Amino acid sequence: MLLLHLGAFHLDIDSKQATFWHSLAPRTRLLCALLMVFAIALTPNGRWWTWAIYGLGVLGVVFFSRVTKKVLLKRIAVEFAFIGTVLLGTLFRDGGEVLWSWGILRITTEGLTVLGSVTIKALLSLLTLNILTLTTSVPALLNALTALRVPPLLVATLASMYRYIGVLIKEFQAMRKAAASRNLARNNVWQRFVIGNMMGTLFIRTFERGERVYQAMLARGYQGVPVVEKVPSGGRRDVFVLTFTIILALLGQSIYLPY
Amino acid sequence: MHHNPIIIENLTYAYPDGTQALSKINLAIEAGERVALIGANGSGKSTLQLHLNGIILPQSGRIKIGKWWVDADNLRDIRNFVGLVFQNPDNQLFMPTVWDDVAFGPKNCGCQDEELVQRVQQAMMMVDIDPERYGARNTENLSGGEKKRIAIAGVLAMKPQVLVLDEPSAQLDPRSRRQLIELLKSLSLTQLVATHDLDMALELCDRTVVLSQGQIVYDGATEKIMSNPDFLLQHSLESPLSYSRPYCLVKDFLIN
Repeated sequence: MLLLHLGAFHLDIDSKQATFWHSLAPRTRLLCALLMVFAIALTPNGRWWTWAIYGLGVLGVVFFSRVTKKVLLKRIAVEFAFIGTVLLGTLFRDGGEVLWSWGILRITTEGLTVLGSVTIKALLSLLTLNILTLTTSVPALLNALTALRVPPLLVATLASMYRYIGVLIKEFQAMRKAAASRNLARNNVWQRFVIGNMMGTLFIRTFERGERVYQAMLARGYQGVPVVEKVPSGGRRDVFVLTFTIILALLGQSIYLPY
Repeated sequence: MHHNPIIIENLTYAYPDGTQALSKINLAIEAGERVALIGANGSGKSTLQLHLNGIILPQSGRIKIGKWWVDADNLRDIRNFVGLVFQNPDNQLFMPTVWDDVAFGPKNCGCQDEELVQRVQQAMMMVDIDPERYGARNTENLSGGEKKRIAIAGVLAMKPQVLVLDEPSAQLDPRSRRQLIELLKSLSLTQLVATHDLDMALELCDRTVVLSQGQIVYDGATEKIMSNPDFLLQHSLESPLSYSRPYCLVKDFLIN
């Protein structure tokens, strides 16, 4: 998801604010966000009231974290363009009453329920994750992952991906400019061919760079496994917020319990 | 400080494809010396430098760094003893933030908490990078000069006794280059500087080693070699600008 917005000047434009949400440790924020996303996504289709409760929770965080709403909406709009194609498929599903039909295409009550449910799930999950990435810098998120006992090697891999994606983009742009400066614009097929070649070159360069980066790591005493720092344990606030999130998640589910 | 930090005896190295990169290198560098390593592209400068940190192990011949022979068992001590600054800082700054990157080396040495913070701050101050201002910044969005200095800070944070630099002044603007030269002058470590920037070599180093096709063809006073344009040309080099302008000599003006 983050990759979609790499062109943006700053990923975490709201990370410097001082609100209650920002005072929480990044790992608490990450944990809360993940809990909410799981709760939202695992709710069976058609349980509208559950999502209403979760929605209140998410909107509460939007309000309290004082994220820039314009940017938040813009990012969600970009992401929805991708999800939209998937959503469209769910509409034409069999089952339930047929409301409308045209040739083999049929819209059914079942299809509408699924469409509505998946849309709400996607919307709420994206809201949650976007708030997280808007308010928390990537290095802080990576530290949070380490604190949550994600294998250090995996975190190190993510960290270098974040570090080098910008370098790769720059390198690719430089190659494109170099090609354009030698009049690459003749026709579409040729252009695609050249861009394909550039990607191949970039791929090979990445290997070479990887080799050199590894040498640089060895030169500074790297032993094969990243060193894990000790992280301070969470304060009372973190425990409170985490408990609250769990209660909210259970509360949402409990509405449909009698049925 | 160790009195004879680098001794190389009969070092020979060939690439996997058979190309001879280094042959019969003999070199001893004393503590506190600043030595320039010059030579054409592909003359073996970088290969020689990678040996000093044990990134490449000697194929034949041997190297003594401080009190350790370079072999697979001593790598840890050797890498703490010799700090290697690579040519392209993008390859060396691999952590997401400046602080994390400078802390990478000390952390690998088992440095923690207060000591770690102190070491990182000290190293950043040494290269004139303000820890407060730069610490949380992304290593990607920095100028070339800043990147270079931070790369050096990352090495200094390991408290090495020898600093090995690969073309430190490449791709720097004049001011950044000047800052770098002043920085290297201010460090009292033993230094081995590989460079094509002969003016910098002349300014920084009293001693120069010339590599040509994997062999040492000159080892001696920098001024002597810089004033020998024929010899330099023979090895694909050129006198530094400060030597190649005879019309700048006041004496000549007076005669005319």
